[in-house]
Amino acid sequence: MPKEIFMPKLSSTMQVGTLLRWFKEEGEPVEIGEPLFEIMTDKINIEVESYDSGILLKKYYEPEAEIPVNQVIGYIGNPGEKVPDQPPAPGSGLAESPRGQEGTSIEEQGAADHQPEDEIRKVRATPAARALARKAGVDLGKISGSGPRGRIQRKDVEQYLEAAGTKPKATPLAQKIAKEEQVDLRAISGTGSGGKIMKRDVLEAVRASEQQRTEKREEIRKPLSGLRKVVANRMAQSAFTAPHVTLSTEIDMAKAVEMRQSLLPVIEKQTGLRLTYTDILIKAAATALKRFPEVNVHFENDEVVSRDEVNVGMAVAVKDGLLVPVIKNADKKGLAAICAEAKDLSKRAREQKLLPDDLKGSTFTISNLGMYPIDVFTPIINLPEIAILGVGRIQEKPVVIGGEIVIRPMMTASLSFDHRVIDGAPAAEFLAEIKRILENPLEMIV
Amino acid sequence: MAKSYEIAVIGGGPGGYMAALRAARLGKKVMLVEKEYLGGTCLNRGCIPSKTWLKNAEILESMERAKEWGIETPEISVSFGKMKRRKDEVVTRLRNGVSLLLKKGKIDVYEAEGIVEDEHTVKAVSEKGEERIRAEKIIVATGSSPALPPIEGLASVPCYTSDTIFDIESIPASLIIIGGGVIGVEMATVFAALKTKVTIIEAAERIIPAEDAEAAETLAKALKRKGVKIITKATVKRLTKEGESVVAECADGQGNPLAVTGDAVLISVGRKPNLSAVRTIGLEMNGPFIKVNERMETSVPNIYAVGDVIGGYQLAHAAYMEGIVAASNAAGLDKRMDDKVVPRCIFTLPEVAGVGLTEEAATKAGLRVKTAKFDLEGNGKALISGDTGGFVKIVYEEKFGEILGVTMVGPHVTEMISEASSFISLEGTVEEMAGMIHPHPTISEAFFDAAWKIFE
Repeated sequence: MPKEIFMPKLSSTMQVGTLLRWFKEEGEPVEIGEPLFEIMTDKINIEVESYDSGILLKKYYEPEAEIPVNQVIGYIGNPGEKVPDQPPAPGSGLAESPRGQEGTSIEEQGAADHQPEDEIRKVRATPAARALARKAGVDLGKISGSGPRGRIQRKDVEQYLEAAGTKPKATPLAQKIAKEEQVDLRAISGTGSGGKIMKRDVLEAVRASEQQRTEKREEIRKPLSGLRKVVANRMAQSAFTAPHVTLSTEIDMAKAVEMRQSLLPVIEKQTGLRLTYTDILIKAAATALKRFPEVNVHFENDEVVSRDEVNVGMAVAVKDGLLVPVIKNADKKGLAAICAEAKDLSKRAREQKLLPDDLKGSTFTISNLGMYPIDVFTPIINLPEIAILGVGRIQEKPVVIGGEIVIRPMMTASLSFDHRVIDGAPAAEFLAEIKRILENPLEMIV
Repeated sequence: MAKSYEIAVIGGGPGGYMAALRAARLGKKVMLVEKEYLGGTCLNRGCIPSKTWLKNAEILESMERAKEWGIETPEISVSFGKMKRRKDEVVTRLRNGVSLLLKKGKIDVYEAEGIVEDEHTVKAVSEKGEERIRAEKIIVATGSSPALPPIEGLASVPCYTSDTIFDIESIPASLIIIGGGVIGVEMATVFAALKTKVTIIEAAERIIPAEDAEAAETLAKALKRKGVKIITKATVKRLTKEGESVVAECADGQGNPLAVTGDAVLISVGRKPNLSAVRTIGLEMNGPFIKVNERMETSVPNIYAVGDVIGGYQLAHAAYMEGIVAASNAAGLDKRMDDKVVPRCIFTLPEVAGVGLTEEAATKAGLRVKTAKFDLEGNGKALISGDTGGFVKIVYEEKFGEILGVTMVGPHVTEMISEASSFISLEGTVEEMAGMIHPHPTISEAFFDAAWKIFE
């Protein structure tokens, strides 16, 4: 089977790449890691190395062509293998963009896999060089690149590995002991003549590492995996791409508390479930979102995408992570329906029984930490949404109303918004609307 | 105004002159004070004269054997006078060599007795008078002298030590050697070749007790073949004169009396440090010897000590290295003595050479010891030379094959031991030795063969 050559997606914002040149002609053999073509993105020029070896069977584009990311631009395979005359359309087969609800492209996922190795992200290196370095456990920062502008290519990594593989000078006895004790001779500096590693140097290294092990005994390292990794990636992506601004306001919940008290028996009778403040918050947010469509949007690929539905996600803490199941069309649902749906979703979230659709399409998210003694926090936006509401506990506080100090059940709500998409004033108006609704809750059930 | 030096060396033996040469090489202004002859015990009363005579002994033995191999000579006669003269020539020539080296190094040599008065003052005492010399650093290399055991009647009999035996008037018909250590067995070899009836009296269980037990046994056998009588586990209680003869009254291991008769007595029971030069400055001691650290520093700042006076191996080649270490440190460098690899050589016939740990010492040290031994019976060159009474034994650590020590007995093994030293020093293991090609036919193949046995 011939292997597709794609226009790589090198950053989350990259839409198209300009093909600058091919390094190979059709019919020429290609090795894994060999530079295959060079492209220009909105930010950089980069040589792209081949992920496969074989014969370059087909080139669909000529230099200067602007090609969408993930478009097939050629094929590599065995001599004589058949390939289409025209490039397959994007979205067919493997060329499908892997971007979806999870929102990370292959490139970002790859980089995120190795987030602790910050250096790897910073140095300029081709994907094949990165892959090899990762596999060999080599810090790219230690390699000097021979590519354009010092970019590290696969062959640079190979040369580094070869050089590193040359045995340091050590006496036969030192080598034997090092092997037995699993000491890396390359990490030892020898005290023998000309820096030769002697028995005593190895024994010293063994002693030092044992000591270090004793000192470090409490430290356990394990890489993030599964849901935790997804959460980590998404949080980092949101925090580092969307400029967050958080607004907070104190809301007098007296009437909401009152309303809940009166609706509790009604809804319990109807559904067998207890109405929670989260349910009320979902309804209040949905009501406000309906009135502020500019907040009820997605921001994708530098475009603001509006949809005519209000889908409110609610953050649910589960084992090792966080899930955001979605109450669809929350503006159109009554409190009883929201209550029932929210209970069902959060139960299934905790039991890991959510379906993919349960997690899709939210236009706004609420994170409620009111069950903890938390007053205020700054939530992180659930991309590609542009805002999120974080609420703390309801606490009785002295407030001044009409010149009198009175005790009221108060709750702080914080709205984080993506300042790329909306500004402070409309966001403040939106949060004020939520406050108004919660302080006069009856209007949302009308 | 007193003369002033950066470094003063007390004693012109191997430790002293090497320290002086090294210090001069490092650009220091150096003086050396020697009360007798340059070259010390080694050159004048030890290594050099004894090996010169041992060469005579070797030739004599070869000539006797030559008869069996079809080379006839008239009756062999020995001119002891010529033998002594040749020894003196060798000694003088080497002594002049040392003197020349010191001169080239622009080292001021004082023919006087050096006394250390304080950490910066050396008093040079000679017939010409006293002179006080100031020195920033002082290296004490005063050596050692034969120890004389407290034996009754010692003063009343013709009694020699290694200091005086080389001046003996004539070849004694019989000789009692008290002490079967290195000096004792070497002198036994010399006089046995000169047809003296030699008796060795040794207090320990065997001769050369510091060396490998099998080496001692092999050497004892060879000496006995030459007519040397060896009495072990015996102590001399009294020496008396009977006519022209000396009688040594001994007690054997069980305390039974035992008498040995001879024309002369050689005392070789060890050596004591020469401390008169440092008696007043209160140096910390290590038993009878001056205590030093691995930088050769004594307990008094600016004073270093090297050679026999600090004990240890009491070998010229150990003293050389100690001298280099002391001089380097006195000159402001940082050098430490590593005495893991000091070869020990006994120039008997056959020779005995050892380096590193003996099997006994390694076992005592709690190491996982294994040995591999190859007898010269199976070595072509040894058979050719008619010297099959020897062996090579490797003492190694089981897990990594680290060579802990090697003992060799046989012809020329004092030359061969350096191969073992190299291996230990460069940390080669038995595995590398077993894989290393040795020239054939040579005695040195035996080392390879011993290692090879491990992997066979």
